Amino acid sequence: MITISTLIAVPAIAAVVLLVVPFARQAAGYLALLVSLAVLGAVIGFIYRFEPVAGYQFADNVSWIEPLGVRWHVAVNGVSLAMIAVTALITTCALGFALWAKRDRSHASAALILMTEAFLFLVFAARDLFAFYVGFEGMLIPLLVLLVVWGGPGRKFATLQVIAYTAFGTLLMLLGILYLGLTAPDGPNFDMAAAIGRGGDWVFFAFAIAFAIKSPLFPLHGWVLPAYRESSPEVAAVLSGVASKAGAFAFLAVLVPLFPAQAAKYAWVFIALGTIGFLWGSLLAFRQRDGRGVVAYSSIAQMSFIVLGIFLLSDRGATGATFQMVNHALISAALFFVVGWLETQVGSGSFSQLGGLARRRPVLATVSIILGMAALAVPGSSVFASEFLIMLGAFEYHWWLGAIVSLGVVLAAMYMLRWISAILHDRESGLAGTLNPPDLKQGALLAILPLVLVLIGLSIAPAQLTDRVDTSAQELFSAAAKEAGR
Amino acid sequence: MIKAPDVNWLAIAPMMTLMIGAFVLLLLASFIRGRDRGLGTVVGIIALLASAGFAINLWSEPATTTMAGALQIDQLTQVVTVLIAGCGILTLLVAFGWNRMRENGAEFVALLLLIAAGMDLIAASNSFVTLFVALELFSLSLYVLCAFDGKSKASLESGFKYLVLGTIGSMVLVYGAAFLYGATGSFGFEAINTALSKAGSGDALVILGTVLVLIGLAFKIGVMPFHMWVADVYEGAPTSVTGFMSAATKIAAFVALARVLLDALPAMRDTWAPALIIIAVVTMILGNISALVQTNLKRMLAYASVGAAGFGLIAIIVGGAAGTRGLIFYLVAYAPMAIGAFAVISLHERDHKGIATLDSIRGWGFQRPVAAVSMVVFLLGFAGFPLTVGFIGKFVVLGSAVEGNYTWLGVVAVVASVISLGYLLRIMLAMFDRGAKSGVMMAAAPGIGSLNLAILLCLALVLIGGILPGLGLDWAADAAKSLAAGR
Repeated sequence: MITISTLIAVPAIAAVVLLVVPFARQAAGYLALLVSLAVLGAVIGFIYRFEPVAGYQFADNVSWIEPLGVRWHVAVNGVSLAMIAVTALITTCALGFALWAKRDRSHASAALILMTEAFLFLVFAARDLFAFYVGFEGMLIPLLVLLVVWGGPGRKFATLQVIAYTAFGTLLMLLGILYLGLTAPDGPNFDMAAAIGRGGDWVFFAFAIAFAIKSPLFPLHGWVLPAYRESSPEVAAVLSGVASKAGAFAFLAVLVPLFPAQAAKYAWVFIALGTIGFLWGSLLAFRQRDGRGVVAYSSIAQMSFIVLGIFLLSDRGATGATFQMVNHALISAALFFVVGWLETQVGSGSFSQLGGLARRRPVLATVSIILGMAALAVPGSSVFASEFLIMLGAFEYHWWLGAIVSLGVVLAAMYMLRWISAILHDRESGLAGTLNPPDLKQGALLAILPLVLVLIGLSIAPAQLTDRVDTSAQELFSAAAKEAGR
Repeated sequence: MIKAPDVNWLAIAPMMTLMIGAFVLLLLASFIRGRDRGLGTVVGIIALLASAGFAINLWSEPATTTMAGALQIDQLTQVVTVLIAGCGILTLLVAFGWNRMRENGAEFVALLLLIAAGMDLIAASNSFVTLFVALELFSLSLYVLCAFDGKSKASLESGFKYLVLGTIGSMVLVYGAAFLYGATGSFGFEAINTALSKAGSGDALVILGTVLVLIGLAFKIGVMPFHMWVADVYEGAPTSVTGFMSAATKIAAFVALARVLLDALPAMRDTWAPALIIIAVVTMILGNISALVQTNLKRMLAYASVGAAGFGLIAIIVGGAAGTRGLIFYLVAYAPMAIGAFAVISLHERDHKGIATLDSIRGWGFQRPVAAVSMVVFLLGFAGFPLTVGFIGKFVVLGSAVEGNYTWLGVVAVVASVISLGYLLRIMLAMFDRGAKSGVMMAAAPGIGSLNLAILLCLALVLIGGILPGLGLDWAADAAKSLAAGR
């Protein structure tokens, strides 16, 4: 039987093998892709075996570092399984895209992407704070190396930004974890279940800052733009698609259940920051002059929106946030692939060099329009469903919050339409006119298509997801909601 | 007629083996001209392994004192002996291909063995007299090792500087010990402790003695403001020796500090703890900031090790079972990272035939991927990233701070490690700088094999210690019980 531990171990071991064994260029890429496909298959198996009931399932719980009271405790609930599934899918697509883009030193880049996947699985599945920290901080290592070695010209600054922000946050969290683990009533115990309700305000904020940086939540989003700009497209897809979700997920699955009293007490802080970030990010996305800028700022906006949804501490808010995490992961990853593909073909992502690409390129136009329509939450799309849930939650919280949030949704429509018109419509100008790039096909298309298909699938049958995560999401925030008197 | 004290030969076998090894080598040295290197290395490794073997053998024995109470043989002594032996073996592997080893290998190894014996004696010392003798035994030999590359002015300068400043440190220590002797009538740690806990801590003589002893040991550890020798000495000394210094000297000096402060002077806590807190904070922050502006890698890592020493002080300030275990494990964890990092620098110097700077390593990572990736792991270890042993070290020390209500010191340490990421990242970025011309001329450097072996051994230790540290933590906890505070 495949366990969650195997799920984490397989990509990790494959990564080490790929790093150590000198495979030929293409072989390494295909092997990594094969591994990620197998992992994806295993995850689908888990989805079928999963029972939509309260509590955590498929637990592995063995002693890891005895003297410190650290255990290897991994298990999933509906929310974490959804995140694991989306991670497996995006990793596979990212490896496919890297294969198409023919990265140099492909064995190392593929290995690092697989390593990221393993760390992300650990973040989503860990039920022990030590293991959670290993995943949360550990995923930074492969992502940083990917940024340093394969990044764009401004990668040095980007790397410094990433590390300065995230390391500070996670190290503060480490102090919080140490406090929770070492002050446990019966000797050191880092299990999350044993930490519920024991932390004070400073521990809460130590965790919250770490998660806010990773998400990113306004005003701690400074590292995001350089990182998304300088990464190669597949790394940007992993970063914005799933690595950022680690932060939002941790808000919902770690912070809120572990600190119910503080989560209720300070929910307004996160709702306020989420609202500001949503509007601010959307406005800035509207002002960007290139595809990456739009996707990056829209990511900031969407992540703030998700955090807002989580801290509504209501059924609609939490389910909507989880749903929106999945949707945004798929969309932002796919958008980064499209933007990255354009950059490779045209040599620039700047809107001044693009335009009129819809002509003679039906596939590109279709994919872009589907993604754009989904991102701006056209009714009937899965994003509409998730954003609608969060907005309903916001209206339940207070009518004026709902009103303000609706404004952000309108802004999303504006920047997505602007992006679509900038690349697809108008005349073929600039480099796009001279180079006459081909249509989206084969390799790159294969990397994007699965994401689009899942998005369409979720639009048709959103209940497939919401039914599975509903109970878990409710369980996560119920204690905090009780504290808040809701 | 003075009666000679009883000697428990088995208990001092680890140190005796090292000294015997050193003298055998020195005697043989005049006969074996030309084969210095091989013979020296073999004898050295055998002596170090034997001392570690004796120490492991003594592990389960109850703690004893011997030589009329001058030495205490307990588990802390054994852990240090094994650690120093490990550091010594790795250093011999790193140094093997160095051309000075061809000419004076036997002397090099003999000095290294004497240093190791001195460090073991420090860990075993039970009185200020033994401590001073042991300190001088290792320091004097280390001064010579620093100046071992007689053709290099930097090396000579390094040895000289270390000699002058190190001697000042020793003198201040002796001066302080004399005051304590004057106040309590004894050099023995236990006797001092008993006398002070009876008499109270208000005596000016005792306070002066405590402060002077603290300053003397601070010199040896190299914490601010007594760190001025560190960068120059680390930079000038042969790189293999630098690696050994940053790992082993730190172990010895920290254990000395722990024995003195926690065993002999716990009654003076009100005097030394505030001083140590200030020193720790200043050292962590300024040490890492100083490292940021360096371009010479050895200087950079020298300041990094100053910062790391400040971090180690946290564990002594906290004390108790958690603090002492944290300290010992942190020292264990730091050793393979430090030796490994300097081994990689050593490799680079041999490739490049010059000093290692941020410029000289530009793009070098693509030429030596294994060494460069190992370097990344060591640097991540310094920064305390998960899955490296450095993380567990940081975890236990910060844990002790949180448990001991020194969380704010932990916050300072966090700020310091974020600063440290700045320079660690600069090294990584430079090694994997795609844009750089592949500037390093790869000369066929001899003795790379053993150097690579050393790097890989350090890498394995750092990773295994990071993933499965349980055994090491148990040992550290046992060894911590040798200190009064650890019980």
